[in-house]
Amino acid sequence: MSEPERTTIEIGDGAAIPRAEDRGLVSAWWLALIGAATLLVVLPWIKPDPYLTILRFVPDGVVITFKVTVLSISLAIFIGLVTGLGRISRNRFINLIASLYVEVVRGIPLLVQLFYIYYALGRLVRVPDLVAAVIAMAFCYGAYMGEVFRAGIQSIDYGQSEAAQSLGFNPRQTMTYVVLPQAWRTILPPVGNEFIALLKDTSLVSILAVSDILRRGREYASESFNYFETYTMIALIYLVITLILSKLISLMEYRLSYYDRR
Amino acid sequence: MTAADPIIRLHRVTKYFGDFRALSEVSLDVKAGQKVVILGPSGSGKSTLLRTINRLESINAGTIHIDGRNLYGEGEDINRIRMEVGMVFQNFNLFRHKTVLENLTLAPIKLKKMKREQAETLAMALLDKVGMRDRAAHFPVQLSGGQQQRVAIARALAMEPKIMLFDEPTSALDPEMTSEVLAVMMRLASEGMTMVVVTHEMGFAREVADTVVFMDAGAIVEASSPHRFFTSPENPRTRNFLKQTLVCPTNDSSQPFD
Repeated sequence: MSEPERTTIEIGDGAAIPRAEDRGLVSAWWLALIGAATLLVVLPWIKPDPYLTILRFVPDGVVITFKVTVLSISLAIFIGLVTGLGRISRNRFINLIASLYVEVVRGIPLLVQLFYIYYALGRLVRVPDLVAAVIAMAFCYGAYMGEVFRAGIQSIDYGQSEAAQSLGFNPRQTMTYVVLPQAWRTILPPVGNEFIALLKDTSLVSILAVSDILRRGREYASESFNYFETYTMIALIYLVITLILSKLISLMEYRLSYYDRR
Repeated sequence: MTAADPIIRLHRVTKYFGDFRALSEVSLDVKAGQKVVILGPSGSGKSTLLRTINRLESINAGTIHIDGRNLYGEGEDINRIRMEVGMVFQNFNLFRHKTVLENLTLAPIKLKKMKREQAETLAMALLDKVGMRDRAAHFPVQLSGGQQQRVAIARALAMEPKIMLFDEPTSALDPEMTSEVLAVMMRLASEGMTMVVVTHEMGFAREVADTVVFMDAGAIVEASSPHRFFTSPENPRTRNFLKQTLVCPTNDSSQPFD
């Protein structure tokens, strides 16, 4: 009886995990980007109806998506900074409020929060749909951002604070001039990830009558019944945007590490 | 206040870490221009004592006066007092995100509202003094430990303090780098700076100190001139400490190593 043929699967040890600068990972990014971009150009070219029509219809939504994303992330970063500082505060009351906020928000799905804030806010004050959507997104992401800021601030060696204090800096100045500028570099990669995650999650606001990419697509699809083609184009648009953003963020990370390069 | 009054006055300072009594009723006077070296085994409270002098450690009992001002007095601005008390740390603690020059100018510009140009002129003069002028544009990670510590001394001096505290400034350095840091400290001492130094460098204590303070178990056991301290220590604990630290086995010719 002959030995049956065996397929061996090599399991890499930790050391064999390819690093970022290895060719395979870099080309994966290029492959995805070129592939998606090519499809975005070629499909409307060879089949203008419906692809070109979709591509003409959706870009209004791209602007809205970006608007919601940028406004939400800016507000979320501000909320995150305040929350993060609150979480490391020695003041018990402030600390409790910040921790409570984080615990509550992290325990409720984003979609539920969106509905809740949208309709609850709508009962109290009349605000434009876009504003309600931004407030809801920022409220949710602010909690995650708070944890990012807290971890970033705590990652800075306490000796840095002591050196600043020994020179005569008060706690606020120590934070502003010494700790936060250094923490920002630790914070940026996760903030970048949150930014991309938030951009993708803005597709949820399409249910709140905000005309983002997805909503524009749905409007078109429900009239033309070209569901497959529409969602193909939408997926490609999101993909190209997030790929470009992730590259920009890693470039920014590199620039911010200037003082640690020998 | 007259010239003879001490610039640093610690009176029965007591400090607890939880249940552990780190300092018990320590009293110490330092006059302007005096150089005090604090010796003692690890865990004896010498670093803690030094850190109470600029309130990096709080105290549980006693009083500390700097230049006549109560460190814990009501209405005293601790940050104003700290501007006059420079500190050098074991791990340098240079601001990692700032260049050497910026490390020196940050506090004068932000705290003393000094003009950038003026702060930079002062900083360059100080860097010259510690032999680091040509590294002004470097970041801390690009420097050796000894170089970082010399910059750290210059950074403290940039605030033009009346007192300099040194917390084991050479303990984190490779042996070949200690001398460059000690040389800077000796020069500073010769210029009349008031210095309180926690160190294990016996040679420095002998050369530079006016007063050597020996601490053990959170208390000052002996305080005397270096000559007296090293030649005829009074306390048995001091004698024991000196016996353990000053014995140098390689000088023992009875051991045939080669």
